[in-house]
Amino acid sequence: MIDIKNLRASVDDKEILKGLNLKIGKGEVHAIMGPNGSGKSTLSYVLSGKEGYNVEGEIKFNKKNLLELNAEERAREGIFLAFQYPIEIPGVFTNNFLRTSLNSVRKANGKAELNAIDFLKIVKEKAKELNIGEEMLSRPLNVGFSGGEKKRNEILQMSLLEPSFVVMDETDSGLDIDALKIVSNGVNSLRDPERSFLIITHYQRLLNYIKPDFVHVLSDGKIVKTGDWKLALDLEDEGYGQFIN
Amino acid sequence: MENYNEIKINFEKFINTFKTDDNDLEFRKKSFANFISKGFPVSRDENWKYSPLVQDLKKFSHLNNQKTGINALPNELKENFDHYSIIFVDGVLILTDINDTGLVIKKNNSFLKSVKKAGENPILNLNNAFADQGYLIEVNSNTILTRPIVIYNYFSKNFLSNFCSSKNFILLNEKSNVVVYEKTIYDSSIEYLITSNTEIFLAKGSKLKKYDLNCNNKHSTIFNFVKANLDENSELEYFTFSENINSCRDESIINLNGKNCFANVNAIQLLRNNCNHEIKLQINHNEENTKSSQFVKSALYDSANAIFQGKIFVDSKAQKTDGYQLSRALLLSDNVKFFSKPELEIYADDVKCSHGSSSGSVDEESIFYLRSRGISKEDAKMMMINGFLGEVIEKITEDKFKNIFFNKLDHNSNHD
Repeated sequence: MIDIKNLRASVDDKEILKGLNLKIGKGEVHAIMGPNGSGKSTLSYVLSGKEGYNVEGEIKFNKKNLLELNAEERAREGIFLAFQYPIEIPGVFTNNFLRTSLNSVRKANGKAELNAIDFLKIVKEKAKELNIGEEMLSRPLNVGFSGGEKKRNEILQMSLLEPSFVVMDETDSGLDIDALKIVSNGVNSLRDPERSFLIITHYQRLLNYIKPDFVHVLSDGKIVKTGDWKLALDLEDEGYGQFIN
Repeated sequence: MENYNEIKINFEKFINTFKTDDNDLEFRKKSFANFISKGFPVSRDENWKYSPLVQDLKKFSHLNNQKTGINALPNELKENFDHYSIIFVDGVLILTDINDTGLVIKKNNSFLKSVKKAGENPILNLNNAFADQGYLIEVNSNTILTRPIVIYNYFSKNFLSNFCSSKNFILLNEKSNVVVYEKTIYDSSIEYLITSNTEIFLAKGSKLKKYDLNCNNKHSTIFNFVKANLDENSELEYFTFSENINSCRDESIINLNGKNCFANVNAIQLLRNNCNHEIKLQINHNEENTKSSQFVKSALYDSANAIFQGKIFVDSKAQKTDGYQLSRALLLSDNVKFFSKPELEIYADDVKCSHGSSSGSVDEESIFYLRSRGISKEDAKMMMINGFLGEVIEKITEDKFKNIFFNKLDHNSNHD
């Protein structure tokens, strides 16, 4: 599904990712854990095509060279980034945004665009599963949403766009237990043999709810250890100290 | 000193042929003398410092206000909802008097109802000297009009003069309620100067909603002046949408004279190419417990130039004033200019007043967020701009007109 080789990324002259290798197969769930400043968020941005990074190396996604595609093209190819801090956009209504987004992706994949009525039917159904009220959909995007509402809105977008590769950047941050459960259930219901996940997190807590197939430790811009989900438990006990020079 | 000889001759010719009474004639002559004593405004004058009109007015060394090429309003320009209409074609008011239940609309033949004192504003003086067209709207007490009034200002291809002036009155008696929608349509491709002077009187408990659409003017120089006087518990909701206007100053003075009255003033400037648009707004809190809100947003492309001068004045007796002002501009090219001059002048000590002004470009983080959801960079930017401006349209309390202006914004998207 995705094959990252010797990935380097820098901002100005500061190198953040220093030769990262990672291979994720179809339907697999990988977790990346690591201390602050290890490059976790940069990895998520580089994967989703944010501008402003100097990127070298290779990312192959379904045999395509991802680095040649811009952010919207990657989204249309099936890459989805769940933001750590979803952006508030005043004046842009959630419903309208969701429909524009879904139709942009559908159009690029040769599917018919949905009219407002068909779209509403779908979105209402999916929103209900995530405990998102219709009232929230008619508000400006993420404006005045609580931390939990913002994250649920991210999962709603994910379930609408049906991506094949999902990067979740510290989705657990700022969530209470109840919200964490709702979000995790949302993610678990989207687990699919055709869909892969890369879950970026500081803590093992989220991984109790979304059980990964592999856990990697990212330190100083590289993956320094790989294991199964038990590695997350070890890290919780021992901390990241052993990986920091 | 500029040479106003031709304009003097134009004025002589005008008053010699214009039929009116002696009082009015006197007032016009006085207004004209006031105009001549100062001439067109110059940028040295603080009130006109940033005004695009200062440059553009120089083009008018003579003023021809002869009525030419009078046409009817093309049917396709008429709104398809039920309304009362007031139609200007090429500066000439075409109106069949309306005398419906509680509503009177007629030609405004008594220009002297206006304030007679010598004016300070040179263009207003010019308007007072020359204005020969105008409407009068009067709504009777306790009349709630369900049909809006639409004022069409249409300049046809046959318009051959270079100057027209109107003077209008809107009078709402106690507890009356009306919506007025004014749209200006420019088909003419010659250069002309338009001045309008509208006085609004809102009696106790009355409510006026006035929505103005002014767009796609390539040549003209425009001065619109509005003065509103609000009595107790009355409310003015005033929204202007100015899009791609060559050169225009919208100046308003709003007097909050009665307790618990409220002026809610909102505006959009959406400008491309070399367009210039200026908003000059003064809200005078003259009585206690009065409230005002100013919310202005500007989206500027290419080499456009926008000015916002907004002032909140609070008299010493106007305790418990609540005054709010916010202007924000999106600068979408390196060549645009935005001048903002927010002012507060407060003489009372128990007031709540705030003002803010900002200008900047479209937020890149937001653009990335939208793009990461498959939306193209261009569409993302347009969504952001329309969302930014749409927040002003959201303030409109009449859904029908909210939709009209949102459609204008959508049109802006298709424009690109």
